[in-house]
Amino acid sequence: MRRSDKYRFYLLLAFLVALEFTVRSRLGDERAAPDFLLLALLIYTIRAQPGKAAAAGFIVGLMRDALTPASFGAGALAHTLVGYLSAWGKAVFFAENLFVNACLFFAGTWVRNLVIALASGKLRGGQLGWELLVWSPLQGLTTAVAGVVVLWVFRRWVHVRVREA
Amino acid sequence: MALGADRYASRADTLVLLGCLGLSLAAMSLPPAWRDPVASAMRQTILAPFLELQRESELLRTSRSRFDAITAQRDSTALAATFLPELRAENQRLRGLLGLGQRLGSGYVPAEVLHQAAPTDPLALVVSAGRLQGVRPLAAVVSPEGLIGLVSTVDARTSIVVTWANLEFRASAMAADGSVYGIVAPHGTEGPGVWLLELQGVPYRQMVPQGTPIFTSGLGGVFPRGIPLGTVIGVAGETEGWERTYLVRPAVHPSAVTHVMILNSGRSAGDLHGAFRADSVPAGGGAP
Repeated sequence: MRRSDKYRFYLLLAFLVALEFTVRSRLGDERAAPDFLLLALLIYTIRAQPGKAAAAGFIVGLMRDALTPASFGAGALAHTLVGYLSAWGKAVFFAENLFVNACLFFAGTWVRNLVIALASGKLRGGQLGWELLVWSPLQGLTTAVAGVVVLWVFRRWVHVRVREA
Repeated sequence: MALGADRYASRADTLVLLGCLGLSLAAMSLPPAWRDPVASAMRQTILAPFLELQRESELLRTSRSRFDAITAQRDSTALAATFLPELRAENQRLRGLLGLGQRLGSGYVPAEVLHQAAPTDPLALVVSAGRLQGVRPLAAVVSPEGLIGLVSTVDARTSIVVTWANLEFRASAMAADGSVYGIVAPHGTEGPGVWLLELQGVPYRQMVPQGTPIFTSGLGGVFPRGIPLGTVIGVAGETEGWERTYLVRPAVHPSAVTHVMILNSGRSAGDLHGAFRADSVPAGGGAP
């Protein structure tokens, strides 16, 4: 891997972080809009070892917890698990193509929201049902679509095969 | 670049995972007295540039629509300015007469809501005004439709707002005509009444008709009197002929607001009934 590729990869991650704090609020309902921060983490896990992915997930989750204190700690736990499982799963199970990555983005978003909802203990009953069966799948879907677009546009930067999709 | 096949989880990876999980659990178990300063410090250091970016983006997003509104307001203001000296003098006389004086002279701090992509976002919002803008803890936070919640933590440039959806939220409330008083709290998280409020502690002999607007009563000194909370849509339950609990449809949902007003502490004893639009609390109670 060339050094310039590495820089471009991190530039892409920074671009996604910037999107989270600038564009996201213009993309419709807050509960269904794509989560670019989580997307950056999941794209990072494509190339990272599970340990590094878990650490990155912990940092992203802790940052998010500082912004949503109602579930402090739960975000760190959820992002750590999602980061580790994503990196480990991609190494062990998953083929590398656009469709599989889209499924990974969808599942990663849903699992992240599931862990936050359960670990925080703030959502129960009907709220939990709506969150897991309606809003989280919608957010997972929009995040997956955004991820596919990003991977397609920047496929040379992230070295993801798209033809098998 | 070849991906994947040669990198399974090593022992070091597992140790890092366990370490991160342990730190996460430790963060979850932190008491609020330790947790809030940590979160506040992060918001004011690492996250400050991102929050500033988000605030600027929100300002940019609304600037176009604001421009038209401001143009219209400018025309109206120009017309109203003709009568301003008289209005000011009359205001001065009335303030002196009523003895409200300085207390009503204080106003509010406008702020953008910086929504986050987390399921618990509606329970506690980040807003783009803090200590430097004059925000103080326990200040009431409202939108043009009604009450959003109250400020729980104040940083230099941002604040955390605990919304009415949070299970710890309580507000002293009353019917529009002051005939019924009670405590408004979240209805809970079970069944079809999710994201509703309930009016608790109403004496059994006092019936509250469906469609009755509910406002803050001002009792307790946290919220000013007269902020719309919602509309009664039915009876939620009763306690053996002693008291009734009513379901209240909230005036506004926290995830639906983009801009809020944080009332100054001087407002807490005032009556804001006239400050809100008459149609801010929808009449009639449909299904939730």
